[in-house]
Amino acid sequence: MKRSEKIMVRRPLPSEWLRKNISTIGPVVAAIVIIGIFQMINPVFLKYQGIITLVYAMSYFLIAACGLTFVIMMGSFDFSVVSILKLSALICVLYVDRLGLLVIPLALLVSVGFGFINGILFAKLKVPSFMATLGVSIVVEGIGLYLSKGFLHIVTNETFKALTVTFIAGLPSIFYWAIGICLICTLIAIITPFGRRVYAIGGNPIGAVLSGINLDKYRIYVFILCSFLAGLAGVLYMSQLGGGSVELGADMSIPLFASVVAGGTALSGGVGGPHRTLLGVIIITWIQAGMLMLGYDRGMQMVVFGAIAVVMGIATIDRRGVKFVK
Amino acid sequence: MKTPDRKKLIPSIIIQTIKIYPVILILIAFVVIFSSLYPEKFLTSLNLTTILRQFVTLMLFAVGPSIVVVTGSLDLSYVGIWMLGGILVWFLKPILGMYSILVIPVLGLATGFLNGIIHAKAKMPSFILTLSLLVIYSGLTATIAGGIPRTVKGYDFITADFIHGIPTAFLWTIPIIIVAIYIMKRTRIGIYLYSIGSNEEGARLAGINVDKYKILAFTISGLFSGIGSVIIFQHQGGSVPVVLNLNTVVYPLVAIVLGGTLLVGGSGGPHRTILGALTFTVLIRGLIISFLDPTMIQLIVGLLLIVSIVVGSRGVKGVTVT
Repeated sequence: MKRSEKIMVRRPLPSEWLRKNISTIGPVVAAIVIIGIFQMINPVFLKYQGIITLVYAMSYFLIAACGLTFVIMMGSFDFSVVSILKLSALICVLYVDRLGLLVIPLALLVSVGFGFINGILFAKLKVPSFMATLGVSIVVEGIGLYLSKGFLHIVTNETFKALTVTFIAGLPSIFYWAIGICLICTLIAIITPFGRRVYAIGGNPIGAVLSGINLDKYRIYVFILCSFLAGLAGVLYMSQLGGGSVELGADMSIPLFASVVAGGTALSGGVGGPHRTLLGVIIITWIQAGMLMLGYDRGMQMVVFGAIAVVMGIATIDRRGVKFVK
Repeated sequence: MKTPDRKKLIPSIIIQTIKIYPVILILIAFVVIFSSLYPEKFLTSLNLTTILRQFVTLMLFAVGPSIVVVTGSLDLSYVGIWMLGGILVWFLKPILGMYSILVIPVLGLATGFLNGIIHAKAKMPSFILTLSLLVIYSGLTATIAGGIPRTVKGYDFITADFIHGIPTAFLWTIPIIIVAIYIMKRTRIGIYLYSIGSNEEGARLAGINVDKYKILAFTISGLFSGIGSVIIFQHQGGSVPVVLNLNTVVYPLVAIVLGGTLLVGGSGGPHRTILGALTFTVLIRGLIISFLDPTMIQLIVGLLLIVSIVVGSRGVKGVTVT
């Protein structure tokens, strides 16, 4: 009796505590180190103008990454986030003159539709999520190319532009959109039954089914949520950017994925969450801006992001219960 | 035992073949449709040579990954090997001279081995791993090349005209495919890879060193991609693009899936990829010469990919599909 009490009150050793919480502490430390290094190289980063630039660069990115986080939390992967973001942005720029602000529900509806197709392909037809979303992403890219014909289009509707570039309390309104959506996603993941079931499916899909979770339904819901957020990110991105062609958002899928895993959401599913992705997005955006400042081109950035994706992917995967991966 | 009736034997062989390879019907359908719609454009020797040339590129990219797909994993790094290898040939030509072309197979072998080690030992999902590696390689390519496509001269002997009218690269493809089919069908490695693909846990319990054979599958795939990349490199004029195009990654995958290799593993293989690549090339050529808007082609390719995956993964049960 005494012995067990002793064990209970024994405080964990610092090394044990560190090992247990490494996936929480790691990203925080990494973010602080990266911000510190770039601050030393160039002190303009944490000044007002630098912050505004970084906020513009990370806000739409954060919204899309939150959606992808849910999918990765569930142990799946969504390749079509960037394509859906692009299609939604293109729909906005192409039809905003004719439809006005009604273009936003249209873009979101199209995105949700493709998310539903992703979910059906994955959950009902048992296609591996990577291949299903790859196929959908090719179709979505094709639609984007067909609609835009490859030309550059410019937004002329001022109300649409004002959605994101109005300054409130010194910061552009897209910042509040992004933070609000990240907060809502975090609440969904942590306190709602939906979030708990997504964690459960990611941790152990067979166990989730045996405990009565309707697996197919939640898989479809998560893919719809991911595509909805990707569509919303596309709308806000276009409103912020003010124009674009089918080329926009190229090479974005690896930074997006890297920011999710850099925050500590494991590829094996079941851990992580949108609050961690916030840190990952800060890390990735800061590295991107810092590398631009130091004069590295896009090729070198891709090398760094790919390396982050591989290293963090290996570091965060939980290998204890996994028998095999495909 | 009666000797089978000759008149019934041949139709029964045809029916059996079509049951095993249903994609033959699609291939015949495409050929009939396009040659009846555009007889003056489709059935010319120029078009048929072009089909052969595009088939070579597709097939050489797809032959390595189709070995990995048999084990249930995915290998997307072939385009990365091609791009980085091609630019390394340019980069190392002043140092190594003519031997610098050997960089591509060596790079392929090393990449495949690295993929296999990380996938098998660190349990990282193969598609994300190889996709990240592909992006790293394309970034390195752009950095080394300085953003400009570089051309290397002096390797014309690889694709020198051997038989008139048939691209020499196609002649190179034949032994490569035969070796791949031999490995998958007639050696122990192939049998083990099929058993790993159909039931990994069962293969482990049967005493197969699963990790070793997975690493071997990725290494063989990387080597095939490397050797294929040498031929594609010269086939396309001794230069590589420095910007990653998603279509070059996706088209070989479509060829593999269309050929009938299941993504969950355990069946299919390089012999099916031949038919898939041929069908896909005929479709692409037909679409290009048709009246359709060129921007529609990508849409149709995507739909074809989805339909063939859905058809290919019918009957898959269970909740562990990720």
